[in-house]
Amino acid sequence: MRLSRRGLLRAGLATGAATALGGLASGCAVPTGSTGRNMVLWYWDGGLGDTVLKKARARYDSTVNLQAIKIGGYYRSKLITTMTGNAHVPDIAGLKGEDMASYLPNADQFVDLRTLGAEKYQSQYLAWKWEQGIADDGSMVGFPIDCGPVAHFYQYQVFRKAGLPYEPADVSEELNTWEKYFAAGEQLRKRIPDTYLLTDVNAVFENAVQQGSKRYVDKDRHFIGDQAHVRRAWSLAVEAKRRGIVSNLVTGTPDQISAVDDGKLPSQLGASWATYDIKNGNPKTKGKWRIADMPVRPSNNGGSFLSITKECREPERAFEIIAWMLNAANQASGYVDAGLFPSTPASYGLRQLREPDPFFGGQVTTDVFGPAAQKIAVAYNSPYDVALGQPIKDEIKNVGVLGKDPDKAWSDAMSKCRRIAKHLGVSY
Amino acid sequence: MATALEKPPVVAEQTPTAGPRTGFRKYWHLYAAISPFYLLFLAFGLIPVGFSLYLSFHRWDGLGSMEWAGLSQYRYLLSDSDFWSSIGNTVIIWALATFPMIFLAMVTAVMLNSAVRFKNVYRFAYFLPNVTSVVAVAIVFGSVFSTNFGLMNALLQAVGLDQVAWLNTPWGIKVAIATLMTWQWTGYNAIIFLAGLQTIPSELYEAARVDGAGPVETFFRITLPQLRPTLLFVLVVSTVTGLQSFTEAQVLLQNTSNDSTFSGGPGHAGRTMVLYFFQQTFDNNDFGYGAAVAWGIFLVVVLFSIINWRLVQRRGEE
Repeated sequence: MRLSRRGLLRAGLATGAATALGGLASGCAVPTGSTGRNMVLWYWDGGLGDTVLKKARARYDSTVNLQAIKIGGYYRSKLITTMTGNAHVPDIAGLKGEDMASYLPNADQFVDLRTLGAEKYQSQYLAWKWEQGIADDGSMVGFPIDCGPVAHFYQYQVFRKAGLPYEPADVSEELNTWEKYFAAGEQLRKRIPDTYLLTDVNAVFENAVQQGSKRYVDKDRHFIGDQAHVRRAWSLAVEAKRRGIVSNLVTGTPDQISAVDDGKLPSQLGASWATYDIKNGNPKTKGKWRIADMPVRPSNNGGSFLSITKECREPERAFEIIAWMLNAANQASGYVDAGLFPSTPASYGLRQLREPDPFFGGQVTTDVFGPAAQKIAVAYNSPYDVALGQPIKDEIKNVGVLGKDPDKAWSDAMSKCRRIAKHLGVSY
Repeated sequence: MATALEKPPVVAEQTPTAGPRTGFRKYWHLYAAISPFYLLFLAFGLIPVGFSLYLSFHRWDGLGSMEWAGLSQYRYLLSDSDFWSSIGNTVIIWALATFPMIFLAMVTAVMLNSAVRFKNVYRFAYFLPNVTSVVAVAIVFGSVFSTNFGLMNALLQAVGLDQVAWLNTPWGIKVAIATLMTWQWTGYNAIIFLAGLQTIPSELYEAARVDGAGPVETFFRITLPQLRPTLLFVLVVSTVTGLQSFTEAQVLLQNTSNDSTFSGGPGHAGRTMVLYFFQQTFDNNDFGYGAAVAWGIFLVVVLFSIINWRLVQRRGEE
């Protein structure tokens, strides 16, 4: 058969159009979940340790092809887009701790892990962390990966020079209230000019809120951001500003990084993963840091979960993989690989977590983070906390940075919250 | 009509009078050839746009079921002082960026248009900022505008002025974002102006010279009026991009905001409309309201485009 050029072109176009139309028409043929032997797992950079993933892949290779896909960019929006689109939904999905509140109201999109026998593992995990993975209706969405206990990072020599306690045990013991911590900040600035305890007032406000067992919206969808626990955190932050112990710098800017390098910002309240931030951001400060308990009580910042989506074809197998990947031994290896602080207290005694860290002067940091992780209070995390916490955080920032009158800032924050609460259907 | 049908055309374009009945059958392969654009536009442009309109009448957290909300999202939008202030921020930043940018671009174009050597090198160099990643530029500008070690404050101090905490004061934030945008768009628009300048017939200049007009008069009486269509184009494009500015503020100010990267710095000074849309949608999971905000932004952009168009048109009528 002889094909003219025009004929070929026409045939090509027709085929193309047919394919396009066929693709549109057979849209419902796109698989909702994984296919074949595949068991697809979504996580983000640093969300799981590489060693554990490699071992899990080898271990379950005879039954499934575990495909761990690292998703870049804005993780949650990609995950919910895929789930809403109902196409190629992963079998196992990592869920970030800060997004948990937004997934839990949609627990029906996930397999209730209780139905797969999750409860028999409960005793091995931190109770508050386990609780965070459970939706209001009692179904269990997330299986604990790591947690982020917050501690007090400080520069040993600077504290010593300022006449403050400088051994970790002494710092933990003597700076155990906000009042004593602030007083230390005043002494610091008096002894070493231009030295500030903390970068900004939000470091005080947010840590003080996180320490408590209540946030901004309660289980009954009622706004509680105007109550004593938030007011107290607010007045602590205002006090920090008034006593002149916070700098006018912005976290992460060259100014702030160099101030940290120079010992002008010798104290930080940071989560366990902040050890990596400091190591990367301020490599010159190696050996200068120590870690102690934060004032009053530890709080948590971050830490994530693994879930099984309802599109998973083999939930039992998926759960078996998850439970194995997140057992105490493997969590210890995740700590080494990706700095994921284990949610399994049994890990804290393992060799990997008992290594002295030269960046912290040879301190075994687990001595601080381990006990801290076990003392964290359970706070209800509402899906409306982000929307209703932000105006308050923004206004305290205005107090700290722009010198706005605290009373005016508080009333502005409250009137904004009232408006947003009404819009979101949260009672005020 | 009948005779036209009797003799088939040799080349399709030559018979625009062909009847509508035969139009599609005759030209289907041409339509097919241009269809990829329209199919892609349908899938990734029109359908999402339509869906966002549908979404704006609902309450949705992005994952669960949608709930009909009627006009309540729009009613809230009108009363939302944060949205209005974000419009204000956007317009101020846009004005701070656009007017200096147009001035600089015009000057650059006139200079490029006069006989200089290495013209193409300049053209390339001026175009470069526009194809550089905004994120990378914003990170660099974050350093330029930092308080203690920034280039900007070093310059201020060199001429004996005080430091300014650029990224920590409302006006400083706006100026920093506007400077970034000016830097990024001046070269691009200079190239556009240059193209416009080159379409002006040289007879006009010759006539002006004969009539004894000086360079300034020539510029205002010939160059500027002749450039009006180009100016309109530049203004409209700057308006559309300027009103949609997002990355600049987001990257420049993400450190300033503790846990929301979309709150736009102290006093929300850098919170542009699109940043606000993003915060409502992706921080607060309020997809319905986010869609309403997006349509609000659309109306603002339309309004400004009309104003621009009227302004430039009216000057043309005088």
